[in-house]
Amino acid sequence: MNIRPFLFRITALFLCAFLGVMLFRGIAAMPPKESVTGPAAHYLERASRETGARNVVGAILFDYRAFDTLGESTVIFTAVCGISMLFSRRKFHRSSSGLSFIAKRGIGIMAPFLIMYATVIILFGHISPGGGFQGGTIFATVTVLLCVVFGSSFESSYFPPKTKESLESGGALLFCGIGLVGLAAGTGFLSNLSAGFPAGREGSLLSAGTIPLLNIAVGMKVGAGLSAIFYSMIKMLDTTNDYREGGPIR
Amino acid sequence: MSLAFMVFLYLFLIATALVISAIGDILSAVITLSVFGILLATAFAILQAPDVALTQAVINSGIVTALFLVAFSQTERPPCYDKEEEKEE
Repeated sequence: MNIRPFLFRITALFLCAFLGVMLFRGIAAMPPKESVTGPAAHYLERASRETGARNVVGAILFDYRAFDTLGESTVIFTAVCGISMLFSRRKFHRSSSGLSFIAKRGIGIMAPFLIMYATVIILFGHISPGGGFQGGTIFATVTVLLCVVFGSSFESSYFPPKTKESLESGGALLFCGIGLVGLAAGTGFLSNLSAGFPAGREGSLLSAGTIPLLNIAVGMKVGAGLSAIFYSMIKMLDTTNDYREGGPIR
Repeated sequence: MSLAFMVFLYLFLIATALVISAIGDILSAVITLSVFGILLATAFAILQAPDVALTQAVINSGIVTALFLVAFSQTERPPCYDKEEEKEE
C-alpha cells in the first residue's frame, strides 16, 4: 500500500484546521459591532456630505479610492486582451442554431428586463447597492444567455465584437477623462466635489458629482470586457465541435 | 434572521463545499459551485453586505459557471488519468 496519498491528506487536513482556527481567532479579535473606529467612522459620518452619494460603498469605490478602481478595471482590460489574443486563431466560424423554440421565446421575453435591470443597477449605483461592476457583469450575463440560447452568430449580430471593443476602450477613456478634469481644476486626479462637480440633492438620480459617470464608465468596461471574453471562448468552441443538433453547451 | 435558518445555511454551505472538492465528475462540481455561490450570496445579504452579495451572485453563478462550462466542453479528460484513479481506489 502506498503511504504517500495518506500522508498528503493528513497534512492537508491539519493545514485546513490550522487555517480555520486562525480565521476564528481573527473574528474573535475584531472590534465589537457597536463602536466603529478608524477610517470606517470617518466614512460613515462624512461620506454623504463629502461626496453626495447615499451608498457609502459606492462613495468609497468611486471617490475616496477611485484610483484603485481604475487599477481594477485595468486588470480586466489586460485579461480581455490576453484571452482575445489566445483565442483569436481562427477568424471564421460556424455558429450553432441554438436551443429549442421554448427556450428562445422565454429568453426573448426575459432579455429586455434583464438589460433594464443591469442599467438600473449601473445608474443607481450611488443611491442603492450595486454599481458599475455589478451592472456590467449582469449585462455580460445577458450576452452569455443570448449566446447560449440563440447561437453565437445571433449574439454577435446584436452586439458586434467591434462595438464591444470600442465600448471597453470608451469606458477606459471616459474614466481617465473624468480624472483629468479634476487634474485640470487643480485639485488632483479623480477628485470629485472639490473639482467643482455639482453635488446635487442627496438621494436624487443626478447627484454625487462624478460617481454616476464613473459608474457608467466602469459598467461599459466590465460588461463589454466580460462578454468579449465569453464570446471569444465560445467562438473557439463552435469552430472545434461538430454540431449535429442542439446548442453549444451540452 | 432566525438562528435556525443561519445554521441551515452554513451547514449547507459546508456540505456543498465538500461536495465540490470531493466529487469526481467535473460537470457536477461546476453546477454545485453555482449553488454554493447562491448560498454564499444569501449569507452576505443577511449579513448586511448587499454590494458584495450582488457581486457574488452575478459573478459566481453567472459568469464563472458559464466560463467553466465552456472550458469543460473545450477540454477532455485524458484516459491515463482515469486509470490512475481506478488504481488508487
